Parts: sequence; C-alpha cells; structure tokens
Amino acid sequence: MVDQPVDVDAVGENIAGEAPAEEPAAVTDDAVVHDDDVELERTIGLVGGLAIGIGTMIGAGIFVFPGLAAANAGLAATLSFAIGGLIALLVALPTSELATAMPRSGGGYYFISRGMGTAYGAIVGLGLWLGLMFASAFYLVGLGHYASAVFAELNVALPFSPVIGIGLLFGAALTALSIGGTENTAKIQNVVVGVLLVVLTVFLSYGVLDAVGVFGGGTVPEQFFSRGYFPVLTTAALVFTSYLGFAQVATVAGEIKQPGRNLPLAMVGSVLIVTVFYVVTIFVATSAFGADRLGEFGETAMVEVARDFLGLPGAVAILGAGLLATFSSANASILSASRAVYALSRDALLPRKASEVNLRYGTPHIALLSAGGPILVLVATGRVELLAEVASFLHLIMYGLMCIALLVLRRRNPEWYSPSYRVPGYPVVPAVGALASFGLIAFMQPASIGIGIVVMLASYLWYRYYAGDVILKGDI
Amino acid sequence: MTDRLSILVPIRVLEGESVPEGVPELLAHAHVVLLGYHVIPEQTAPGQARMQFEDRATERLDEYEEMFEDAGATVERRLVFTHDGQKTIDRMIAEHDCMAVLVPNATGPVEDVLVPVRGAIGVDRLARVVANVFGDMDADVTLYHVADEDTTDDDIQTLLGGMADRLAEFGMDPSTIETRIDRDQNPLDAIVDVADAFDTVVMGETDPSLSTFVFGMPADQVANRFLGPVFVVQRERAEEDE
Repeated sequence: MVDQPVDVDAVGENIAGEAPAEEPAAVTDDAVVHDDDVELERTIGLVGGLAIGIGTMIGAGIFVFPGLAAANAGLAATLSFAIGGLIALLVALPTSELATAMPRSGGGYYFISRGMGTAYGAIVGLGLWLGLMFASAFYLVGLGHYASAVFAELNVALPFSPVIGIGLLFGAALTALSIGGTENTAKIQNVVVGVLLVVLTVFLSYGVLDAVGVFGGGTVPEQFFSRGYFPVLTTAALVFTSYLGFAQVATVAGEIKQPGRNLPLAMVGSVLIVTVFYVVTIFVATSAFGADRLGEFGETAMVEVARDFLGLPGAVAILGAGLLATFSSANASILSASRAVYALSRDALLPRKASEVNLRYGTPHIALLSAGGPILVLVATGRVELLAEVASFLHLIMYGLMCIALLVLRRRNPEWYSPSYRVPGYPVVPAVGALASFGLIAFMQPASIGIGIVVMLASYLWYRYYAGDVILKGDI
Repeated sequence: MTDRLSILVPIRVLEGESVPEGVPELLAHAHVVLLGYHVIPEQTAPGQARMQFEDRATERLDEYEEMFEDAGATVERRLVFTHDGQKTIDRMIAEHDCMAVLVPNATGPVEDVLVPVRGAIGVDRLARVVANVFGDMDADVTLYHVADEDTTDDDIQTLLGGMADRLAEFGMDPSTIETRIDRDQNPLDAIVDVADAFDTVVMGETDPSLSTFVFGMPADQVANRFLGPVFVVQRERAEEDE
C-alpha cells in the first residue's frame, strides 16, 4: 500500500469567517486518512471510473453532434472529432499525473488551486461549476430532441415543439432524484454505459461494412474538405463538449480505489474509447447520407442513419440509446457540479452551508439545487451550440491551466509532489496541451467567448470579494 | 491467555446503532477493533459527510470505546465514511487481521455458547476464537453438527472430538464442552432453531460459491434470524499478490 503524505496547508478565512477545512494526513490506495483515524473510503474501481468518463462523454458526441458537425464541416467533421480527441488526450495525460499526485476530490480545481494559487483556483473552480451547468443544460436539450423524436416516431403531432419543455422536465426530475434518491446509481450507470457500447458497436460495425461496400450499397466518397479547411477547426471547437467527461473522473479522484493505477487508466482509456467511437460514427453517418442531408436532420441525425441501415428497429434502438446516453450525461454532470460546489465550499471559496448534507437523505441538497436551478434557466434558452461552446470554453480554460500547473509543479518540484504516474514526453506534451486548449478557444463563436470571459471575470471578482485572504497554494 | 485476538465490531455509528447491552462484557477478553462507519449515498462526497458529522460520530465512538474498556477489553478504533459498507468492513478485517466479526445484538450474561461446526476446514481458527473469547468466562460451549445421510457417526465424532481437543489445547476446561448432533435437517434452519436456547453463536464463514452469492452467506443469514450476538469467524485470507 502506498502511503502518501499530504503536505499542503490551506490557510486564511473568507468574508464569513470560515477557514478552509484541514487537509488530510495521508492518502492510501483504499482511503483518504484524516487525523484521529477518520477515513474516507475509496469505493470506485476502474470500471466505475471508465463508466463516469465514457458515460459523461458519449451522450454528446454520438447522439447530438453528428448532424450539426456534418453541416458545418462536411465529411471533414471526422477530422474535427479526431482533433478534439487529440487535444483531450494531450490534456488527459498531464491530468493523470496531477491526479495521481493529488488524488483528492475536486479534480482540476484542486490541482490548479494547489499548484498555482487561490485566484486561478477560484476562476477554474467557479468556472467548472458553471461550465458543468452549461454542459448539463446542453445534454438536457439534446435529451429533449430525442424525446421529441419519439413523439414524431409515434406520429403524435404536437402543436408546439416539446424539446425545451421535456428538457426542463427532465432537469427538474434529475435534480429531485439526486436529492431524494438513495438508490445505487453508480451500478446503473455502469450497466447503461455497457449497453450503450454494445448497441453502438453492433450498429457501427454494420455501418462500416456497409460504407465500404460489403452489402453492395457502397457509397461514393464525397470530397473530404467539402466546406474548406477553416470549418474543420471551428467544428472541433464546437464538438469539444463531447470530450469533457474525462475531467469528471478527476472530480471524484478522492473516491477512486488505487488511484495511482486507476486514475490514469480511466481518464486516458475513456478518451481513447470515445474518440474511436466518435470518429467511426461520423464516418458512418456521413457516408450513409452525405454531409448535406445529414446536416438537415439536426440533433437526431443518428436516428435517420440507423433507419437507413436497419429500418424501424434500428431507428428505435438508436432512439432508446440516445435517450439513455443524454440522460446519463446530464445526470453525471449534475453530480459533478455538486462535487465542484463541495470542493469550493471545503476551501471556503463558497459558504460552508453550500455543501451541507441533509439529514433525511444524506445528500447535499443545497449543492444539487445550486446546480439544478440554473440549469433549468439555461435549458430554457434552448441554444444547443451556444451551451456546448460555453461549457467547452470554461473547461478548456481549466485544461490549459492544468497543463501549466503541471509545468510549474515539475519545475519547482516541491517535496510533497510525488506522482506515481509521470506524463510521457515532458515538457512537450503538457506545453502542447496548454497551447492547444487555449488555441481551440479562438475558433469559437464570439458570443460563447464573451459569455465565457464574463463568467471568468465574475469568478475572479467573487474570489476577491469573498475569499481574498484564503491561501490554498501548496508550499512550492 | 496473553495474546488477545482481534474481533471486529462494526457499528453504523450515525444511524442509531449503538453497542447493545451485554456486548462489552462478551468481548471482555478480546482485542476489540471498533469500527464506526457511516454509509452515504453516491451523490455525496465522503469528505462532505465528514465535515458535517465527524464531531458527532467521534463523540459516540468515545462513549463506546469507554464501554469496552470498562468491561476489560483492549480497544482500537476507526471511523470511516464510505459508499460501500461491506468494502470498508472487509478492509478493516484485512488491515487489523481480525479473526472474527461480531454481529452485535443484545445479550444477557453469557452462559451457553453454540458453536456450529460444518467441516474440518477452518476448525483451527474457530477453536482459537472460542477459546480466546470464552476461555476465561464461566460459559458452557456446545459443539454442534448437522449431519447429512452419508456421514457416519464415526466421522462426526472425529470432527467434533478433534475440535474439542483443539479447545482443550488452547486451555479450555474439557468439562465445559458438550457436543450435539442432528441429522437430516436443513443445517441453516436447524442452527437457528437450536440457537434459541443459547446466548451467542460462533460460526465459521463459508467459502463464497454460487449459492452464497444467491442466498447470502449462511453466517449472515443466521445473524439475521438469531436475535443474539453472532461471531463470524473469518476464513483464512490468501496473501494477496501484488
């Protein structure tokens, strides 16, 4: 058993006079140990970690984006997804190192606040909390599209578009479920992800065989860069929301068993797996219909692709899978947002009250409500692309800063920093990861960038006002 | 008896579970590993529960620790916040090298101890626990076996006799040891029925198999149906390979 001492002292107090909770005395393979023999058990294994990562990501990339991406970039959307995957991988590797050095809850926020100081930590932490809300809202709108497609399939004509209404309904239901439910949701999540992967593998295998002409219906390959080169990058920025999930694994780093082994495997593994699925999906989808028609189908384009290959049963299977996937992504993001609130309140950047656990259900109702409430407002806007980009923006800032935090920590090499996993290709990989993360932001729509900057500014001002005296930086 | 055996006493410390009457006296001669644990839903980070509940849990554990020490036990304690109570209990068993886990239920002064003996495997550990915990008490021990058709009386005598010898070796007075045999019954039902007349039960853990997976461990089932305290003697754990 590795017994890693933790030597980071968080000091100071916020405007309400609350000091950061003391740091644990040590972290082991099985628990986080505080003084007085109080321990926090680690209960999530490798499968659980992968399920969090894949479950969060796969909903967006496969079930919402193919149509939108194909409309923007044509067949080259395949390349956009590959670029997104590459950037995610470049960030996942440094994140793994940081996570094995500091396997504590809070993920990127924790690494950055300890490595670079409270100000950066606050911007990232509050940004992550809001970013996860944008992401959840995005998944919920996607869910709304799939639920509406079910109505369309049943030939139920509605006088209005039910997309937003359904999104709101599920948003409220999910929040209520997380507060009141004590069922074993992690096991359900594992099963859901397993089912999704099986359905997708069958579907995509058929699609690939069809696309290369095995079933005689081979398609004429259209021009790869049918929309030019630039849209490939803007599309990569748009679809990057499909790669946010691996960082959610880090937000529960404090609960992962054998973190030195399981954290890198879960993060890097989930990125690699979803990247392959995304690229193949886009390839299959665009080769079935061509980018133009695919774009017309919008958010639920995959249903039409499945119908084209396998008829009604295919369409129904993908509809069901889409509902499951967007639902599980939204659920995972709400839970992560609540974890982010906890991490911030533990460090006195938010009121301690915010992470209070209610006595009846043992769930953090205030943290969950403070995620669920704003999500509903965001869902009501119904702007899929904007929600996705703002979520990506806030995450990309965190990703870039994580890479920088790694560079800083490696240079100063403080005594407490002893990761059991070391990033290959240092310093090139984290440096390129940081550049790529920040670089991708430049290709977003101005509106998304504007909202993102406002969120960051507001986070910084909140920190100055509320917790200006709190020092979280490790001794470096 | 100088070497005290470690016995794990898991208590769900924040859910109103406390140390029932008679349990401290029962463990007066043991080394008690007092585990206070709190199971939280997955939506909640364990650290979050800790921030809020640590003080209250510590207070209660202090109280329990004192009860055990007053009765004569040596005590080691842990407080764990977990999503998975079973995993925590298993880890404690391994880390503290616990010979048995006590399912704590209330009991009066212990006079009669029932020890169901299933087979030759694990008899040694079973005997050590019985001798250690009850050796210096004024208690009668009944070794009990539910035989199936194919088992001859000789086999049973060898089994229970061997167990009795082992107990004597560990320093128990042979006159306090009795044996009892029943035939052609469902072992589990038989044990629960017979246990009614006893104050406590000490039994071995079964190796995991399909039927234990489906129906649960027999020891746990007895613990659920018998109202008194049950010692579940842990099977020998293979050294884990790294």
